[in-house]
Amino acid sequence: MKNYHLSGIAAFATKKVFSAMFLLALPLFAIAQTATDVVEPPKEFSLANWDWEFISYFVLAVLLILITARAFDIGALTERITGKKVVNWNATNRWIAIIFLLASVAGIWYEMVNHGKHVLIGDSYSEHGATIDSMFNWTFGFTFVVFVITEVLLFYFMFKYRYREGQKAHYYFHNNKLELVWTVVPAIVLTFLVLRGFNTWTKITAEKPKDAQEIEVFAYQFGWKARYAGADNKFGSHHFTFISGKNPLGLAVQDHVDSLLADLKKDTALLNKQIASAGDSAKAWKAAFVKFNTGSNATAYPAVYKELKTKMEDAESGSYLRQLKKDLRRKNTTITRITTYRKNQDVFNNAGNDDKITTEIVLVKGKSYTFNFRARDVIHSAWFPDFRGQMNVVPGMATWFSFVPTKTTEEARADKGNKDFDFYLYCNKICGGAHYNMKIKITVVGSDAEYNTWLATQTPFVAPPVAAPAEGMTPAQDSSSIVKPNTVTIR
Amino acid sequence: MNTKIASKKPKENYRIEPMRFNLVLMIIASCMLFAAFVSAYIVHMPDAAAKNTWTEFDLPVQFMYSAIVALISSVTIYLAYRSAKSDELMLNRVYLSATWLLGVVFCVLQYMGWLNMISRGLMPVNADPEDISASYVYAISLIHLLHVLGGIILLTVTLTKAFRYQVHKKELTLMKVTHTYWHFLGLLWIYLYLFLYFAG
Amino acid sequence: MSTAALHTDHHHDHGHHEHKESFISKYVFSMDHKMISKQFLITGIIMGIVGLVMSLLFRMQLAWPDEKFGFMEMLLGKWAQDGKLDPNFYMGLVTIHGTIMVFYVLTAGLSGTFSNLLIPLQVGARDMASPFMNMLSYWFFFLSSVVLLISVGVETGPASAGWTVYPPLSAMEKAMPGSGLGMTLWLVAIVLFIVSALLGGINYISTVLNMRTKGMSMNRMPLTIWAFFLTAVLGLLSFPVLLGAGLFLIFDRSFGTSFYLSDIYLEGVGAMENIGGSPVLYQHLFWFLGHPEVYIILMPALGITSEVISTNARKPIFGYTAMVISLMGISFLSFIVWGHHMFITGMNPFLGSVFMILTLIIAVPSAVKVFNYLTTLWRGNLRFTPAMLFSIGLVSFFISGGLTGIYLGNAALDIQLHDSYFVVAHFHLVMGSSAIFGMFAGIYHWYPRMYGRMLNNTLGQFHFWITFITAYLVFFPMHFMGLAGVPRRYYMFTLVKEFDVWMDVNKMMTIAAIVGGAAQLLFLWNFFYSMFRGKKSEQNPWQSNTLEWSAPVEHLHGNWPGAIPEVYRGPYEYSRPDREDDYFPQYVPDESDHAGTGGDGHKTAPKRKSTKKEEVAENVMFAAIKRVFGWS
Repeated sequence: MKNYHLSGIAAFATKKVFSAMFLLALPLFAIAQTATDVVEPPKEFSLANWDWEFISYFVLAVLLILITARAFDIGALTERITGKKVVNWNATNRWIAIIFLLASVAGIWYEMVNHGKHVLIGDSYSEHGATIDSMFNWTFGFTFVVFVITEVLLFYFMFKYRYREGQKAHYYFHNNKLELVWTVVPAIVLTFLVLRGFNTWTKITAEKPKDAQEIEVFAYQFGWKARYAGADNKFGSHHFTFISGKNPLGLAVQDHVDSLLADLKKDTALLNKQIASAGDSAKAWKAAFVKFNTGSNATAYPAVYKELKTKMEDAESGSYLRQLKKDLRRKNTTITRITTYRKNQDVFNNAGNDDKITTEIVLVKGKSYTFNFRARDVIHSAWFPDFRGQMNVVPGMATWFSFVPTKTTEEARADKGNKDFDFYLYCNKICGGAHYNMKIKITVVGSDAEYNTWLATQTPFVAPPVAAPAEGMTPAQDSSSIVKPNTVTIR
Repeated sequence: MNTKIASKKPKENYRIEPMRFNLVLMIIASCMLFAAFVSAYIVHMPDAAAKNTWTEFDLPVQFMYSAIVALISSVTIYLAYRSAKSDELMLNRVYLSATWLLGVVFCVLQYMGWLNMISRGLMPVNADPEDISASYVYAISLIHLLHVLGGIILLTVTLTKAFRYQVHKKELTLMKVTHTYWHFLGLLWIYLYLFLYFAG
Repeated sequence: MSTAALHTDHHHDHGHHEHKESFISKYVFSMDHKMISKQFLITGIIMGIVGLVMSLLFRMQLAWPDEKFGFMEMLLGKWAQDGKLDPNFYMGLVTIHGTIMVFYVLTAGLSGTFSNLLIPLQVGARDMASPFMNMLSYWFFFLSSVVLLISVGVETGPASAGWTVYPPLSAMEKAMPGSGLGMTLWLVAIVLFIVSALLGGINYISTVLNMRTKGMSMNRMPLTIWAFFLTAVLGLLSFPVLLGAGLFLIFDRSFGTSFYLSDIYLEGVGAMENIGGSPVLYQHLFWFLGHPEVYIILMPALGITSEVISTNARKPIFGYTAMVISLMGISFLSFIVWGHHMFITGMNPFLGSVFMILTLIIAVPSAVKVFNYLTTLWRGNLRFTPAMLFSIGLVSFFISGGLTGIYLGNAALDIQLHDSYFVVAHFHLVMGSSAIFGMFAGIYHWYPRMYGRMLNNTLGQFHFWITFITAYLVFFPMHFMGLAGVPRRYYMFTLVKEFDVWMDVNKMMTIAAIVGGAAQLLFLWNFFYSMFRGKKSEQNPWQSNTLEWSAPVEHLHGNWPGAIPEVYRGPYEYSRPDREDDYFPQYVPDESDHAGTGGDGHKTAPKRKSTKKEEVAENVMFAAIKRVFGWS
């Protein structure tokens, strides 16, 4: 019965533990040190360039921890020899449990005071947001009570019922009534939460409000664009094959689509030529490689060597040709599709010409909005945390979300006591390297007049002068900037 | 080495030979895999049809032949099992070989079915975008064929053992496992064929 | 006295077979379940270290985004030029950390280790149903681990689409660097992993159902076995679906099909050909595994906790039947709630509300489990062994993390909380920390059974408290961040002014993570040192009731030298008032004893009757299986 007490000598152990705790923090100091020291990164592999200071700290810390661990073992050995139990862990743990419980209460309290309004759900700035917040508060009320009761009981039981020699536990294994109670009570509470949640959810998502103003929100790697319908209050149709540098949203606008088509035809002609001469280019790459690969060139210019070698190997293995053929196939498919759609006059009604593509979303307080989402490349997610709205943006699938903003940006700033505060729409679905920086500002204004003033500053998509291509949206295959628009018309 | 010891162990506390029990579970897992494919097909079809990207086409006639071959081979494997049970070792070998051959014929027919689809422009690799339905047919028949290849390996093992006089009345476990698994393969293909035939 | 009873009736004619084993067949390609379980454990620990180090790297990035860490460049080369972590590699680290922790540590490392060790020993079998398949299961797992680790080193970086690898991001090579070779290797690794999990799971189920010793009826099985059994059932039914999803993804990536792709224009490539695919289809297939996977991770930990708490509280587990039923309920429900991961993917809102209702029902069996644990502790005689402490820690995490599940399962609240730090806090507490604490509890409890030696108790105590406190410090504040609107998987927060208030919390969390990570060194030392130099274990060091402690300390192939012991009662007969000892092992015969089943039979029906009923039911089941498959 005593073999589960495998403790060391108390004083010895405690001292060692504190030094171990200290040492655990050593890597941190090391990091802080090196962080300031590194100025120029080493470019080539060399032992001298390693972060030896960090390594030495790390090795030292590990060694010391292990020595401490070894010391405990000696403690255990001593105990085994002397046959005396030095630390009664059963007694010690009951106190640690109580201290832990109190410390966590203090920690949570500190957190709540320290971060003030940020803790818990905060303020919402949309009409339906209030219902979500009340849902949250109800849930919080129930779960918090359960949380406190169960956690306190857990640690209190640790305190109260610790092991004592000769004491026997209460032989108690079953109580139907008790079990029924804690099956039924949670079930009732959950029924309440489910019904409430069901109502809230249905009201928010079931159907688009009819009188809402629609705004298209377009997501791409890595940014957002908003599209307002323009003067005719009609959104121009769009298709993903129409997307080009000048037409980032792929609107069905004749000039842009035609110039894209012309570019694609040029590309395919070039590809055809490249495919025809693939054998020659393989020879040429090989010759170039052989010519380059003399003397110490390979070691002197490793980057060039690698590039030439890759190209030669690609050409020889046929993967270069396969890639060309794949590209050609893809472009031909796109051409066929564009041509088919181009014939459809219902699509090409030029309703998109006066659409306004903006880099900021401006809303009017108290008006209902529906956001229609569209993604260009991968799944993104549009999250309006302050408005309690979120919806995935999926390529090839139409999604939407509606809300009514209830406060202007200015009012929110006053609320939060933060002059620089702005609403943002964040991307909330992993979408690539710059995912963390994919956001668009939302400004809520107080009146239609302000909104109209802003809208007037935005240029329509097709209007003299033609809107400049959006930044960061220049596809590599697209050479439309060279070709003048309207040089080719297919019909 | 250890397995031999295990097999020599007297029946201590199990009721069904572990190998057969494991096979049942494996079959359940397999069924879940195909259930995933089939439900994906059912869910995807209306979705893609709404975008005009779901072409309906006739399944290659070879797939029907292979379903018939599967049926026949089910009969032969059953006869092989029966003959092993009644210690008719020569007959057992004949039926097993026949099943093995039918298995190979099945594979060839599947391959011919794919060729048939390719000749109609329904490509397996770099499929035309409108060919999602064809992609499903390729994927499902390919994964089923992999199961059949596993079955043929199992048959080969059984056949080898049969020629070494290791399949008889008193050593039926392997024969039973092969028997069950082969029935499963046949039934699975017939089910998949009927599903693709009526759903697509 | 227990072993004496055993050794009186030796049957030397069967059971243990003396034979020389070579090094390779004993330690490498071993077919002995105990050795395989050790192999799983050590591989799991190594993968765990990798996953932990990765998490420390990206935690440091989050806490000090503007600092330059020389050692990071040393470790990661071009991925941390100037000592600053590359955003693409950050995504890679997050992805591989998640994959390793979910699949390699908490699925294979936890369930693989303890199912292998305990199922044959606790149900009274000589080995698994198929030792060979069991060995294959480990080696597929090993291969899979190697492939995954290799994928971290490829030139374009590891898979970086998150551990859920949603297409189209994961399906197109040019969508991001990590979607190239790294993603291919990730898929290969996962396919190998699924094969391993299926081979293992098949064995666990068939051993539990088919190979129990005499007297070990289903309602006398320890809760560990129930948990492992139901876990294996979940795995058997859900892993094939992930395999299907993965195969479709491979087809899309490599053969140009359009299962998941539609209407895509990719920068640098142009308009893609694919139309008609459905990215949401992948999510459905993935989460059909993904949600049961959560319980595949958690349930073994809950099973271990039940066993450890009952043993160390010296009390029968409260409500054995309720515990089993709630495990079954959780298992069943886990298959029909996958949609709660997808409330805001744009799927039909009505479907969303159905999934919401089903999801919140899971809270009921979970609550029953928690209350039962608490009642088991009540008026117990609690021995705070490290295993017991870790189990109590698990219960604490399970409460903290489980309650937030009620928020996230609610579709209306999920609109706001989806993919925020609140989710990160939720699953790191309820699934991550809980399960890893269950694993630690298992290791501390069954170490004597595995290696015949004891772990150092004092080190264990320190290991527990440091890990417990730091885990709370790392994960609890994340709730507050999430509620304030901080999204997960962000490489840094400094670009959003609103998030500045969280920088101090971020730093605190990272420091806590480093301290907690360093505390694992104590454990590693304890683990590997005690393997060779720890105090020799007794036959039954914890005075436990279950069958595994009746086997000799030295490992035998075949587990028991004589006949397999018979089982006479439920596994939780601790502190019976009619007995002098505070435990009463399952394998000790006592004619006067009419103790019933599963720890709660003492006052219910006498054992003969219930066993018979059970047997009838089982016979019917087996007869049905035989009939269905045409077996005579």
